[in-house]
Amino acid sequence: MKPFLRICLILSIFMTSGCWDRTEINDLAFITGTAFDLTDNGKYLLSLQFAIPSSSQNGGSGGQQQKFFVLSATGKNANEAFEKIQKKNSRKLFTAHRSVILIGESLGRQGINDLLDVFSHDPRQRLKTYIMLVKGGEARKVLQTRYPFDQLPMEAVKEMESQQTEIATSLRDFFMAASSPGIYPIVGVIEADSEGSNPSKNNVFKLGGSAVFKDLKLVGLLDGNETDGLNWARGHMKDGRINAELVDGKGNVGMVVTHANRMIKTDLQGDRIQFKIILHGKGTLIENNTDLDVSLPKNLTLVQDALEKSAEKQIHVAVNKLQKQFKADAIGLGRELYRDKPNDWKLIRNEWDQNFAEADVTVDVTLTIGGFGMVGPPLQLNEEGIKK
Amino acid sequence: MVFSFFSNEQPFSLMLLTSRIILGKNWENTTIKLEGAFQVKRFRKWIRVEPGNASIPEELHAENEENAELTLDLNQNEMTFRDIFENCSDINFRKICLDGQEKQLVIYLATLVNEELIDDHILRPILDNAIISAGSTKQSSNVNEIVRQLLDGHAAILTGTDNKAVLVKANGVKQRSLEEPSSEPVIRGPRDGFIENISTNIGLLRARLKTPRLKMEAVTIGSLSQTQVVLSYITGVATETLIDEVRERVKRIRIDAILDSGYIEEFIEDLPYSPFPQVHSSERPDVVTAELLEGKIAILVDNSPFVLMVPMTFWTGLQASEDYYVRWPIATFVRWIRFLFIFIAIFAPSLYVAVTTFHQEMIPTNLVLSIASSREAVPFPAMFEALSMEIVFEALREAGIRLPKQIGQAISIVGALVIGQAAVQAGIISAPVVIIVSITGIATFAIPRYNFASGIRLLRFPILFLAGTLGLYGIVLGFLCIVLHVASLRSFGVPYLAPLGPITVTSLKDILIRVPIWARGPRPLATGNSDSVREQAGQKPSPFREGREGN
Repeated sequence: MKPFLRICLILSIFMTSGCWDRTEINDLAFITGTAFDLTDNGKYLLSLQFAIPSSSQNGGSGGQQQKFFVLSATGKNANEAFEKIQKKNSRKLFTAHRSVILIGESLGRQGINDLLDVFSHDPRQRLKTYIMLVKGGEARKVLQTRYPFDQLPMEAVKEMESQQTEIATSLRDFFMAASSPGIYPIVGVIEADSEGSNPSKNNVFKLGGSAVFKDLKLVGLLDGNETDGLNWARGHMKDGRINAELVDGKGNVGMVVTHANRMIKTDLQGDRIQFKIILHGKGTLIENNTDLDVSLPKNLTLVQDALEKSAEKQIHVAVNKLQKQFKADAIGLGRELYRDKPNDWKLIRNEWDQNFAEADVTVDVTLTIGGFGMVGPPLQLNEEGIKK
Repeated sequence: MVFSFFSNEQPFSLMLLTSRIILGKNWENTTIKLEGAFQVKRFRKWIRVEPGNASIPEELHAENEENAELTLDLNQNEMTFRDIFENCSDINFRKICLDGQEKQLVIYLATLVNEELIDDHILRPILDNAIISAGSTKQSSNVNEIVRQLLDGHAAILTGTDNKAVLVKANGVKQRSLEEPSSEPVIRGPRDGFIENISTNIGLLRARLKTPRLKMEAVTIGSLSQTQVVLSYITGVATETLIDEVRERVKRIRIDAILDSGYIEEFIEDLPYSPFPQVHSSERPDVVTAELLEGKIAILVDNSPFVLMVPMTFWTGLQASEDYYVRWPIATFVRWIRFLFIFIAIFAPSLYVAVTTFHQEMIPTNLVLSIASSREAVPFPAMFEALSMEIVFEALREAGIRLPKQIGQAISIVGALVIGQAAVQAGIISAPVVIIVSITGIATFAIPRYNFASGIRLLRFPILFLAGTLGLYGIVLGFLCIVLHVASLRSFGVPYLAPLGPITVTSLKDILIRVPIWARGPRPLATGNSDSVREQAGQKPSPFREGREGN
């Protein structure tokens, strides 16, 4: 009997000292998205989107079930607002499954310095969470949007972000860019968009463009086209598309870039700082709205030239906007300079914004069209109309 | 008798008491010096179960007290045996009077002998005054010896002229025919299995190894059962020290009766408290032969179709005989599946419990939501849920084995309906737990050795408990305990994890993979190192071999 009692005592160690952080999965409120807005009196408005795990017992028969709901609270920092929401919630808030953090535009302009720190302390706040800026209006509105495809709207945003065509900035990327010299962070932009006949019910949201942060304050937005150019310049282009008008105005062509390689050459001559962005792209032609037979090498060169010009122009527009309008180096030219010529960088880094605005940036794009698809000329044209 | 028992015990307990006092004094001294080690020691002492006073029962000779010899008087001899076999209705005394004077007495137990054989080869020759034409005969005058032989199925022939009895072997107990062993079925491979008769079983082994080097050492164990136990090994292949050890351990057994080889197994294993079996058992002659060829020792027990083999390693538990009869890539694949399934069998329910109650951040978002939604209606904690399902599953399995075959089906239907559907729909159990428990059940059945799988099944419960209280940390803790235990376990001097435990690269060919038969090389080092060559090297088949014209 005695040894039995002793074994029981040892087992009770596990019962008494274990279990202290045990939480059943159905006692957790899974946060899928967070939105930060600025209230009129200068406080933060925190909104959290929770997934509602629907019970499968009466699935289907109950009709359209709500898949999520949103709770909001104000506070002078994120922690206070979070605490207020916890008081409204019967289950323990669980942040590890959050996929997106949204920031309202007005808050972005005021600065997000006070918000970011809360994400880096708790290990359950994932640094892989995407951070996005909501263009126009409240960020909360996007959280409340019902998205028809996925179970949860914020899952949809996560999927859209991971498609690689858009700017996908996670908290980790943001922190890295914000803390390193010679580069400013950019985040993706999302906006609520109504589509379909009943705009109130099935709203969708669209990703478009990017937002440039300077000293953790929003300085400006780039539209989709400019973002593509910026992506090229940053060397983040993975699955980009380029369209170009032919010189003689005979129609346009389009290609998909599958491989892209960026190189930046820095040069310091006296006060002039020169950057040369060299891009090598490889891809296939997917659209040909001209009467050219692109299976012939000379025509292909023609198309290639036009596409290169178009890409160069696209990048130039983006770089120009960053230089002249925002005076913010989101490309990372300063970082290139720092890596190339660390001694010179030390001299100019304090007035880098001004230097960047005045730097000479040239762009040189070389595209290789690896394939023109299944046909040379458009199939709908007859034999005579095709230019050989 | 009783008095002597008491007087025997008293000095022993006194000695124990004094030794304790001395030990206690020593402890006090060491406390100052070795605090940590002392704590561990003390803890060990605290937890240890004090062994009770083992009293080995004396051998009882109920049949005959003295070392009696036969006399010349036939009637007196008859009276002796009638006395011994009093109230035994199946004993037969057949007295034959020839020419009115010369008497002969044939004694046998009708239930043990083949009476046809007695008629044809004993009684008729006696009547015809011819020579007894039975195969196995011997002579004895010792009453005890004759009684033992009678009980072993011999017939004793006593004559009035001699004080020696002729013992003729006339064994005739009904046996079951050789069937495919139901505990180890194969798709490809021999289909005969051992039966309850030891001479048939020895014959099955002899038929496979036709060499005088295959030895069969007989030992009789059991004061009442007088069970024949045979140690079998191949001289030159099995190491002498191992044979000595096994012989010594088997001969040590003092018991009234051996009913199955399981009795022997429990007496000779190294660590009786381990959940892992340290003695391998099989119903298949081909398995036993293969183990003998690896230098192991087989222990055959009369009246048991299960033959024991020692030493056993961890890997034996994961090898089926069929591994060697199907082609090697398939066998290797199946072996890896088993490695995977042994982990699933121990850890699947505990991983589920740990991850869903402590580490929800580890599950992909969509999965965590679907698990959460299936758990919405469930009132119990995940650990309780998993534990109760596991217990119900064990009950179902047990019921399926014990029930008559006709009702067994009903049980499986009820089990599937109640657990698979009704419990989930009623919101008592969540669907993921049902899936986890079924996968675990399948995983357990994928382990080919039944007694090994039972040990694995048992380990699941403490790990589940650890997972429910400490999460993944508890699982790691439990895993470490299992690994430490298995790594320290030995079976007859051979490390349980050999050849991976202390690593011997050449022997790994049959552990992690199953190399082709022609590439096996020498016998495993752990057991069969004395005569290690088992096949000639360079027998890899190919159509273009030197010395052979191309086919």
